[in-house]
Amino acid sequence: MTSIHVPSPIIQVRNLGKYYGNFDPAMIERTGPEHGTARDHVTASIVAAWGVNFDVAAGEALGIVGESGSGKSTVLRCIAGDVAASTGDVRLAPFEDGNVNILDLDPSARRQLRINTLSVVYQDPAEGLALGVTAGGNIADPLTAAGWRNFGAIRDRARELLARTEVPLDRMDDIVRNFSGGMRQRVQIARALANKPPILLLDEPTTGLDASVASGVLDLIRQLLEELQVAAIVVSHDFGVIEMLTERCLVMQHGRVVEDALTDQLLEDPHHPYSQKLVAAART
Amino acid sequence: MTMTMNKTLPILDVQNVSKSFTLHNIDGRTVTALEDASFIVHPGEHVSLAGSSGAGKSTLLRLIYRTYSITAGSVKFRLTNDEWVDIAQLSDAEVIALRGREIGYVSQFLHAQPRRSVIDLVARAGVSRGMSIADAHEQAGYSLARLGISRTLWDVHTSVLSGGEKQRVNIAAGLISPPRLLLLDEPVSALDPENRERAIEVIADLSDQGVAVLAVFHDLDAISRLASRIILMSRGNVVTDGPVDQVLPQLTPGDVQP
Repeated sequence: MTSIHVPSPIIQVRNLGKYYGNFDPAMIERTGPEHGTARDHVTASIVAAWGVNFDVAAGEALGIVGESGSGKSTVLRCIAGDVAASTGDVRLAPFEDGNVNILDLDPSARRQLRINTLSVVYQDPAEGLALGVTAGGNIADPLTAAGWRNFGAIRDRARELLARTEVPLDRMDDIVRNFSGGMRQRVQIARALANKPPILLLDEPTTGLDASVASGVLDLIRQLLEELQVAAIVVSHDFGVIEMLTERCLVMQHGRVVEDALTDQLLEDPHHPYSQKLVAAART
Repeated sequence: MTMTMNKTLPILDVQNVSKSFTLHNIDGRTVTALEDASFIVHPGEHVSLAGSSGAGKSTLLRLIYRTYSITAGSVKFRLTNDEWVDIAQLSDAEVIALRGREIGYVSQFLHAQPRRSVIDLVARAGVSRGMSIADAHEQAGYSLARLGISRTLWDVHTSVLSGGEKQRVNIAAGLISPPRLLLLDEPVSALDPENRERAIEVIADLSDQGVAVLAVFHDLDAISRLASRIILMSRGNVVTDGPVDQVLPQLTPGDVQP
């Protein structure tokens, strides 16, 4: 160890794993990058993610990059609680001082974490928002869940968040279904930030948006990460997103982490054959 | 000057550093970009890297910044508490922490968020290196003025600037409250003569502030005016390392190609 001061981790993930189907210890050896598949040919089980380890500090964004099916979203969803992990240990410093493996919590305690410890921004706004509800109502929802009761205070906070995410305030009482894709994504971000969570998980937050809209949303996310000093995980197949938002990242393939590196190093000097292939493809 | 300089401890000690790339998707071949490079740099020294295209100058800067992983050898860096750390062995998180305040890298390209104002961009760089917001803004304005960025441009977004303006904003951001070691990769390459002159003066001041500079320039004029020492490289090797008055006469125009 050196005397260089490194911020302490907010998110600590150890040996996180998720499989679908029956478990056979040998299937771990029969799947992964060397075998070119996450599907075990003997049991037909899928090893969606295995042996994933990383830390994220406050004010830091960690990227997870890979093609679809690589397991990157599985990792994020296991941490978020959308998917039940098969194995592993995940600790969040803001929750019980990191003394509890959140994977051991019961579902209601997991939901509680989503109210004020950890928020998720999904690729599809329909996952993170109630589309039939107004923008203001979508933001009021996590606030009331956290115990806010004063209507005026809730309206004020909603207004503040919509202004910050650049949603015109005169749209506050419109139903989100009538919003454009980029605007829905901004409302989703506003809602995710409602209770000032110390942890933010972003799953392909700009995928599917027009290029110019995506760059505006990306820009907003970058400003917010800088300003709020949250610990963030950014899952994306797009190196442009990873390069703009993160300083460190993991590369996943067939359910395993094949490389972890400084983001600029991954782009300039990727080591693993799969990383080299991804970077070369992104450059052409 | 050389006498007093060498009484101070070095800040950077590069020992037997090599770099090779394994190209897995092109027949798995290995390409060597740098072989067995060794040299030291003291605080306040301005060391110019010279050599023809492909000599390994930019590779060396990127290795020290760890944009490239280090294949072999050590890159020892002295912290403010005089502890030596080997950049080749540091964790990624430690490298990120060092990049904040201790080691800077300025290339010819501005990597900025498009919707950030010029003054804000430069001031934030100062704040990230420990300045107060007020001091950073004052210093940012001073630096921008010195680099010939007129006040009318300070509050516009960097995306609307010309290439030469972006390059000068990049220099201002890289040099505000300067880190103890600065790596410069052709920072003035696209500037017109007048602005190039301004940038060279600002870079020259770094040496008086005790900043160690390791730089690649594409012209002999900049090298002769800024460098206290020249390291001449060829095909991934250090071939000469000596005072500017000894090495400069050996250089040919081909030795300062990008």
